Amino acid sequence: MMAATLCGKLLPKQGWLPVTQSVRHGSKAVTRHRKPIHILKQKLLAVTKYVPPTPVVPKGAYPFERQEVKEESGFVLLLKRELKKLFQDYKMVAVAQNCNSNAEDMRILKHRLHRHGIAVKFFPNQVMCSFLSDSVYSNMAPLFIGPTVLFVSKEPKVKEMLTSLRSSPQMTLLGACIDNTLLSAQGVVSYSKLPSVSVVQGELVSGLTMMTAHTASMLLRHPAHLSALLQQYVKQQSSEEAPKAEEAT
Amino acid sequence: MFSLMKAAVGGLTGVCRVNGHQQGPLHCHLKVLVAGLQTYEIPPDYSDVVLPAKPKLKFVNKVPNLKKPKREPKKLRDIQGPTRGADSFTQGQYGIVALGGGYLHWGHIEMMRLTINRKMDARTMFARWCISGPYKPITRKGLGQRMGGGKGAIDHYVTPVRYGRLIVEVGGKVELEEVKHILTEVAKKLPFPAQVVSRESLAALKKKHADMEQNNQNPWTFKQIVQGNMLGIRRVVSPFDVHHCGRFSGKFHFPGRV
Repeated sequence: MMAATLCGKLLPKQGWLPVTQSVRHGSKAVTRHRKPIHILKQKLLAVTKYVPPTPVVPKGAYPFERQEVKEESGFVLLLKRELKKLFQDYKMVAVAQNCNSNAEDMRILKHRLHRHGIAVKFFPNQVMCSFLSDSVYSNMAPLFIGPTVLFVSKEPKVKEMLTSLRSSPQMTLLGACIDNTLLSAQGVVSYSKLPSVSVVQGELVSGLTMMTAHTASMLLRHPAHLSALLQQYVKQQSSEEAPKAEEAT
Repeated sequence: MFSLMKAAVGGLTGVCRVNGHQQGPLHCHLKVLVAGLQTYEIPPDYSDVVLPAKPKLKFVNKVPNLKKPKREPKKLRDIQGPTRGADSFTQGQYGIVALGGGYLHWGHIEMMRLTINRKMDARTMFARWCISGPYKPITRKGLGQRMGGGKGAIDHYVTPVRYGRLIVEVGGKVELEEVKHILTEVAKKLPFPAQVVSRESLAALKKKHADMEQNNQNPWTFKQIVQGNMLGIRRVVSPFDVHHCGRFSGKFHFPGRV
């Protein structure tokens, strides 16, 4: 089939094609390869390259100060409410660390503590630390590292708790918050050795009323005994006065 | 013997069962303690997503049904430069965007259709073409023919695709991760560089270019030098480059150029 290029011209013979045909064409703009670029255009592209803004502080110089504030899920809020109630209701909150105790040991320990009215609670450390940092008990936060257990009770029954903990070798007492006072492990031990409040009060009262009680008991004795005592006292007084008078003169 | 069995059974069943005091869902004797707290993200809500009646990709004809197919000049400028339209999502959430120019012929389209139809779950997702079927005729001369003798016969048809055009859209009650592996498999086989995008990532791509233009610290820009014809640079810079600021060359796109 013939192209329309030579139709305008009269062909000398039928089916005659010229030997050479000069066709003008430029190079294509869209190629499969990257086209070679003129040196001046290369220079232009090099000069007009994108220069990103340099940060004032190089990356990694300072740690990221602003903490990402995550929205607390419903479960975390529930746990925090429980913790708040716990600190309000229970007077004694003791923290212990348990390393590889099995369910059997836990069950026995729980039973023993339940007999004295001490409950065993578990809370995740993250939630605990975030709760404590907001509340008054922020100094308890360093206790909550590793697998921790909370022993809580309404009455501070420290002696019974220590005896039960001594029986289970896995538990190590870290500290406690008894009556809004933070105590270390040794503090808890010394707290257990203290006499009870009633005993202390009794001692104080007896100490104050010792003199009056003594006089009351003395007055109850036979009057002859009392008169003999008085006479002895007068003799003593006179014997003291005589040497004093001799010294003065 | 009996007591032993009882103890064994009791031990086995009492791992997480609570008997006696302290019963309840929050009380378990053996508690797995963790330092942190695992919280799960709420999965997305797909109640407002409507799946079309025919979720799979439609069959596309190899040849457009024309009465008299005319031979067309090559016009490679339909590959050059960025798209004029069809560069944003309409129905779907995820898609493939072309990062260069090229021609898609029926083989590519069939590959895409078969792969996506085979791999997608018709109950939860749907797919939609963003390109039309091949309409541009490509001619070829017979084997061993010398130059000259007129234009060849129409061999096949192609669809021209420019940079930034969406090829295929996928949507439905799915997240990107479920769809990504299907679309990357398809995108790798296309004749031009292509990328899997979601609505957000496509917007981010466009924003990135805008940000680059904004915070470029170089005081000299291509646009400024060429529009002012500094150093007579228009001699070596084509009108196409003047319009597109040196970001395109032929069918290629340079993402680093601003």
